[in-house]
Amino acid sequence: MRYNLMLASAVAVAVLAGQAGAQNTNEIKIVLPEQPANLEPCGTIITNVGQILSRNVVEPLTVIDAATGQATPALATEWSQIDPNTWRFKLREGVKFQDGEAFNAAAVKYSIERMTGGKVTCSNIAKFGDSKLTVTATDELTIEVKSDKPQPILPTLLSVVMVVSPKTPADKAVNDPVGTGPFKLTSFSPQTVVLDAFDGYWGKKPAFTKASYVWRQESSIRAAMVETGEADLTPSIAIQDATTPETDFAYLNSETTALRIDTGFAPLDDVRVRKALNLAIDWDGLAQLFGDDIKRASQMAVTGINGHDDKLASWTYDAAQASALVAEAKAAGVPVETEIELIGRNGIYPNGSEAMEAMAAMWQEAGLNVKLTMLDVNDWLRYLQKPFPEGRGPNLLQMMHDNNKGDAAFTIPIFYTSAGSYSTVKDAALDAQVADALAATGDDRTTKFKAIFNKAHDELVLDIPMFHMIGYTRVGKRLDWKPDISTNSEIPLANIGLKN
Amino acid sequence: MFAYIGRRAYHSVISVIGLLTLVFFLTRLTGDPSALYLPLDSSLEARQAFAKLNGLDQPIYLQFLQYLSNLLSLDFGQSLRQNRSALEVALEAFPATLQLALIAMTLSTGLAIFIGAMAAARPGSLFDRVAGVVSLAGASTPDFWIAIVGILVFSVGLGLFPTSGTGTALHWIMPIAVLMLRPFGLLVQVVRGTMISALASPYIKTAHAKGMKRRKIIFGHALRNSLLPVITVAGDLMTGLVNGAVVVETIFGWPGIGKLMIDSIIQRDFAVVQSTILVTAIAIFVVNIAIDLLYVALDPRIRY
Amino acid sequence: MTDTTVVSTKSPGNLHQLAIYLTRDKLALCAAIFLFILIVCVLFGPLLVGDMAGKLGLRQRNLAPFSLDQGFIYILGADTLGRPILARLIVGAQTTLAIAAAAVCCSMFVGGALGLIAGYSERWYSHVILRLADVIMSFPSLLLALIVLYTLGPSMTNLVIVLAITRMPVFIRTARAEVLELRERMFVSAALSMGASSRRILFRHIAPLVLPTLVTIAAIDFATVILAESSLSFLGLGIQPPNFTWGAMVANGRGYLSTAWWIAFWPGLAILLTTLSLNILASWARTVADPSQRWRLQSLRKAPR
Repeated sequence: MRYNLMLASAVAVAVLAGQAGAQNTNEIKIVLPEQPANLEPCGTIITNVGQILSRNVVEPLTVIDAATGQATPALATEWSQIDPNTWRFKLREGVKFQDGEAFNAAAVKYSIERMTGGKVTCSNIAKFGDSKLTVTATDELTIEVKSDKPQPILPTLLSVVMVVSPKTPADKAVNDPVGTGPFKLTSFSPQTVVLDAFDGYWGKKPAFTKASYVWRQESSIRAAMVETGEADLTPSIAIQDATTPETDFAYLNSETTALRIDTGFAPLDDVRVRKALNLAIDWDGLAQLFGDDIKRASQMAVTGINGHDDKLASWTYDAAQASALVAEAKAAGVPVETEIELIGRNGIYPNGSEAMEAMAAMWQEAGLNVKLTMLDVNDWLRYLQKPFPEGRGPNLLQMMHDNNKGDAAFTIPIFYTSAGSYSTVKDAALDAQVADALAATGDDRTTKFKAIFNKAHDELVLDIPMFHMIGYTRVGKRLDWKPDISTNSEIPLANIGLKN
Repeated sequence: MFAYIGRRAYHSVISVIGLLTLVFFLTRLTGDPSALYLPLDSSLEARQAFAKLNGLDQPIYLQFLQYLSNLLSLDFGQSLRQNRSALEVALEAFPATLQLALIAMTLSTGLAIFIGAMAAARPGSLFDRVAGVVSLAGASTPDFWIAIVGILVFSVGLGLFPTSGTGTALHWIMPIAVLMLRPFGLLVQVVRGTMISALASPYIKTAHAKGMKRRKIIFGHALRNSLLPVITVAGDLMTGLVNGAVVVETIFGWPGIGKLMIDSIIQRDFAVVQSTILVTAIAIFVVNIAIDLLYVALDPRIRY
Repeated sequence: MTDTTVVSTKSPGNLHQLAIYLTRDKLALCAAIFLFILIVCVLFGPLLVGDMAGKLGLRQRNLAPFSLDQGFIYILGADTLGRPILARLIVGAQTTLAIAAAAVCCSMFVGGALGLIAGYSERWYSHVILRLADVIMSFPSLLLALIVLYTLGPSMTNLVIVLAITRMPVFIRTARAEVLELRERMFVSAALSMGASSRRILFRHIAPLVLPTLVTIAAIDFATVILAESSLSFLGLGIQPPNFTWGAMVANGRGYLSTAWWIAFWPGLAILLTTLSLNILASWARTVADPSQRWRLQSLRKAPR
């Protein structure tokens, strides 16, 4: 009797365990680190919204090529600049929305006006800065976009415009977006998002007919799920969980970490002190906190971004030189013993607070007086964005900057111009140089951006670049996929294949 | 008794109103959340527009009056993160936690009473020592440690259970096991302590002298008289579970109200913070009233 | 004529008596020794290994335990920044025990006193106390920690206040429950008829009977407070670096459970052993204090002749 019971339970366990590994081959299951708060298509630059929606449910007008940073056709097939403020775009034929509406110039105009109209909180338009766009539909499949200032990179900017069906309400955010992509949204619950294939898709049919997304906050659980077969893919695991080279892939994820120097306060207004801050850090030792694949940074944008200078060398560790510079500044009357506040942000990246503790200790040894304060996100934001808090003293701010939109225009102005949101710099010559670069095109633009990065690093020493960050993914054995620089913002299911 | 319930309900309503007012003002002390909802590189104008759109730029008294007038039409506000009704968000998440809490509490209380009573019957014995050490170990270990190690051992290593999520009966086993540990540990100690005192009373000696069976003495007489502190602590633990099965919900991906509350607090989604506190407060008040009524059932000498 | 010598039958002094009871219960003796070692760590730890606990060793990150290559101090391994865990345990004992002891004592005494009052009287203030307990129960501790951190700034005192407030309701309600039962007993009506004031009855007669249960709860609450501080540290709301507690060490090890298990394991074990010792000692103290239980620790002595 007892033997029968044991046998039955063993069989039951085996069957149920087996089921954990069984997969319907046309379905893919992806586990994300966080639940998307909502599925508003105007919020696809938020990581967990973009990883689900971008190029799966909704599609943009252009797509940035990860290697070159240039815009390539998506829903717009060709474009030309008619005059400095106007671009003409030809739209793709034969595209339908998932609810049956026709894709045409009027629909694109509607989408862009929904984004810029101000009734829906649209995160994506942060990339447009303060430029105003006017869209005219010149015929069924052609639009003209006019901006109030010259926009040499408008096609790049339009990579964040997700085209939605004209039936989408323009005055409130939605959680059930309807677009033109290969999958339509079937359900969105607190536990999962389910996408089903859309038969009327204009492009190549993806390998899957159904995709479901779940979320688990713990990296070890996500890694475990892919290991046991409960999920096929997770785009983000912690470095200590990436232990299996066959399934765990590292990728440069377009984030750059740095410390912003508040140049408006002594002793940070002295370039010798700023150089000393860069020289006093044992960069090789610090890199060990972040793993073997991490790349040392010399500028705030990664390789592949138009304007990145591969030849710009980063600061190396030279404790003697750092102390000498501090002593020299002190002799010249700079108040080097003023307390400098090192402002960290809790949870900004793994081992972030440990890195800050280590750096504060190294600066103490160079002769500077640095005190660490760790802040919560909301508090930290007050120091990141203008207007900065009154009554602050000399400070260094821990930060991380993401740019995967292919062009340094999304990095340089915000950091180095007088009006830039993060910027503590007020240099009129630099402002002019930046404005000049922003209006340039082609190779001229690239050269000018490189010159600005060089000046900011070698001559003016405006910040302390740390590392270009690496993300780790775990991919189940039945999938054929490798991550790239855009994985942080999108995971197009059409790019995922099945191994046989 | 109904008069008592009526009076308690009336007091509870006043307390809930006081609680919500307190929460309203205190949460807004933690700063304007506009910057959290927009990308880092958004402009000042964009942030100001967001604040204006959601009524966050008004003075706090005006915001409070607006909130009160909305309450009259049963509108508990919109979730800034999820773009839907805050109350709907909270009520959707509550049943999952309630189920976990009820099952975990029932199992742990029952088990704790049984084991604690047996341990109290023979204090100092091997059973007592082992039960004490095991229950205390469960109560003092961090719950995330047990959850993650449990998943690594039982799901990844042995393949017995799914790692996380909801769905089948198997999905419930590990979350409930982890949730039970602290209540079980604490309750075993409380039961044991009160039972030892109860077993030393004269009437127990009389029953023993009368020849009553040991089991009947322990479970029939001594237990009933020592249950008052036990159900109080059990009630407190239950309310603690409703509020805070956060770790279990986070690790096992259980869509409950604990994680929702934590996320909303960190993200400064005020409306959802208020609606989740409202829902859990009502549950807590109901549990406390029930416990107070149980006192009377257990000990007829108590009167209110 | 015989000389009768009077043998002194003086019983041993109080402290000596306690020591004798302690030796009778072997487990309680171990617990007491462990707590004694802990107190030594609290008092002298920072002096002895203070700088080792804070020194970064970026080349010894996540060093595995049980090897003496790097010296005895690394016997338990190293954490994510290469700092020796043994040194950090010793130094962390001070902050951990200070915070936990302060929070638990505060909530036990204040909560207990409020519960006594709420249970004994029927006036309006007893209802207010109970509703206050309900409100505190419904207020998420994380929210309270965030608000206090934001408005009053991060400091150990503020953390203790937050932890004490969140743990108070259980003491209030338990004390009240016990008092509700005790006030109906015969000895209370006897005292009343003799003219004792309510305050005297409450604090002189009822309180000592309520205390053992409260102490039992407090002993486990010690671990609950340490672990609550650990959750707050995980979210960045607990003790701020460079100060740390065992709970913070456990929180830091959360992401490494499968790769560097020792980072969270040793502080977790320390918390467990401390709680265990406190509980064993609390239950031993309960036995000693209760005259009807004390026989378990006494031995038969020959009567003097």
